Amino acid sequence: MKPTVVKIDNLVKRYGELVALDHFSLEIKEGEIFGLLGPNGSGKTTTINCLLSLLSYDKGEIEVFGREMTPTSYDIKREIGVIMQNVAVLDELSVWENIDYFCGLYIADKEKRKACVEEAIKFVGLEDFVNFRPKKLSGGLLRRLNIACGIAHKPKLIILDEPTVAVDPQSRNRILEGIQELNREGATVIYTSHYMEEVEQICTRIAIMDKGRKIAEGTKDELKGMIRNTESVSIEILELPDDIREKIAHLPHVYETDYDGAKLTVRCSGGRHNLIRILAVLQEAELGFGRVYSELPTLNDVFLEITGTALRDSME
Amino acid sequence: MFKHNLAYELKEVLRVKEFILWLMLFPIILGTLFKVAFGSIYSSELFDTIPVAVVKTTENEVADRMMEALTEGESPMLIATYTDEESAKQLLLDGKAEGILTIGESMELTVSRTGMIPTVLQEIVSRCKLYETVIRDAIATDPASVETVIAKLSAEVNACRDVSPAADNPDVYVQYFYNLIAMVAICGNMTGLHVSTNNQANQSLLGARKNCSATPKGIYLTTGLIGSCIAQSVSMVLCVTFLRFVLRVNFGGSLLLLYLVSILSGCLGVAFGFFIGSIGKMKHEGKSAIAITVSLALCFLSGLMMGNIKGILAVKAPWVNRINPVAIISDSFYCLNMYSDYRRFFTKIIAIVIYIAVFTVLGVLFTRRKKYASI
Repeated sequence: MKPTVVKIDNLVKRYGELVALDHFSLEIKEGEIFGLLGPNGSGKTTTINCLLSLLSYDKGEIEVFGREMTPTSYDIKREIGVIMQNVAVLDELSVWENIDYFCGLYIADKEKRKACVEEAIKFVGLEDFVNFRPKKLSGGLLRRLNIACGIAHKPKLIILDEPTVAVDPQSRNRILEGIQELNREGATVIYTSHYMEEVEQICTRIAIMDKGRKIAEGTKDELKGMIRNTESVSIEILELPDDIREKIAHLPHVYETDYDGAKLTVRCSGGRHNLIRILAVLQEAELGFGRVYSELPTLNDVFLEITGTALRDSME
Repeated sequence: MFKHNLAYELKEVLRVKEFILWLMLFPIILGTLFKVAFGSIYSSELFDTIPVAVVKTTENEVADRMMEALTEGESPMLIATYTDEESAKQLLLDGKAEGILTIGESMELTVSRTGMIPTVLQEIVSRCKLYETVIRDAIATDPASVETVIAKLSAEVNACRDVSPAADNPDVYVQYFYNLIAMVAICGNMTGLHVSTNNQANQSLLGARKNCSATPKGIYLTTGLIGSCIAQSVSMVLCVTFLRFVLRVNFGGSLLLLYLVSILSGCLGVAFGFFIGSIGKMKHEGKSAIAITVSLALCFLSGLMMGNIKGILAVKAPWVNRINPVAIISDSFYCLNMYSDYRRFFTKIIAIVIYIAVFTVLGVLFTRRKKYASI
């Protein structure tokens, strides 16, 4: 069994009357890419800040690499790389100098540091921009610099707090691929995001957060297995008599139907031939229909079924 | 790690445009403007031997003796050109003479303009007339006393007692340059404020990033302060060197002590900014506005904008000058220049060091926190 890298136990953090973290617990094993998924204000960043000992908390315990995490745990901090939600670099230093400066907060040896900086620059693809000041870089390049500053010292635990916010798709893909590569090289990764597609794409295990609580945890398949919905069938149809809709609602495995005057959505739990059965009913009634979609459940469906609100809705 | 942090701290500070502008270029520009402004005052007041044309209409022994006294000696007041009336007028018109002294029964003055030099000539003529009257009166009443009267008239009566200053420059305008240096010093608060902001997790993202790192807070706080003090000292030395050697402002006193007080003053500015930055949760922009406002107010009270404010305060509220760090810095330059012993100067130096220590200790106490209630 792989050793535990991060253990958060019963964490409570209050901002006055507001409970930001409500008895939050978590265990992350070595080699995982662990996703913290939740809408804005769900407590993801607060969890990270408590984990890094930046924030004080009211109750609970935090262990990293099997040792209690405190603000003066410099040996533990040496093994952690942090990539903040917003870019935090020095405007007056060049790309190379920035990476070297932050790497120097972890590695004293100049030669070793130089090798690390060069490797980090190559890793994020900033070879052509080493002498550029941050203000001369585009948003995507700036994000890459931010990542390079956080990983240059080769940490065993990398914490990325929404690193792809406001990043173009090309840079986003590069960042996600980079995270997977770092993980392949042996780093344990904690990845917070409100983009469920990203979390689904790269995370080996996911915890879904809402209002400071962990509402679900597991692999993406385990999470999807927690909910009733296994398939959503959507059919564009302009006319749907009530008796036909009733007939569809009583088909095997169908547990919910929804019709808005233009689109019929049928949610099924289990079963293999749901789509064929539904279309058969419509053909039998000689009803014309347009495009047909069959979708497997997403993490948004998991969030929707557990909280009653869609993940996207709760971010608005 | 210490060396690494210090090197980058210096690199960063010396590349900040605001720092270059306000702490290096601004004092040079303002100093030059001061020099130009005060230089014209000096040159307009510069007293030189005054050329006059003298027209004698009759013999006047008393007036001749007075002219002799005014035109001879090591530094004569007048250069006299004895000529006729027409030539005298031509000399006046050509600007080769500042006035025409017509010596007849009495002495008369003709000038072609108003100003300081014609006023001086007028004063000389008035005095001559007075002396002439007194001497003529003595000759008429008691001829034996004439020599005594002349001796008494020649003796200078001064109600003031001479006090020997240490230095050689009791120049009132140099006070503006003291205040300029003091302003540059206190403006060092910009770099001190940055140190405070960039190292606190609840003040900046950089602060948060540094607080997550494996470097203890004490190291990057210390290197930040030392780096800022070095950069500020460089700007102070540049400023003083420019004023002293390029603009040739005479600060008097020892050059070494002049640089010492400049460097300490710069450190006081940094410590002041660090202290302001460490108080409360207000964001950097707000604290920066407070630091600038306080600095300008202190400069005003020290006399940078209004030369006599310090004198007014010395009478009405002397404690203000005693606690105003800008006034203390400015006074230290004054003491170095004006007093022969260094007692007062070192009192000011001690006050500056105390201020540096107090601001730094309070700043460290407020920023030493390692965990925050909110970020």
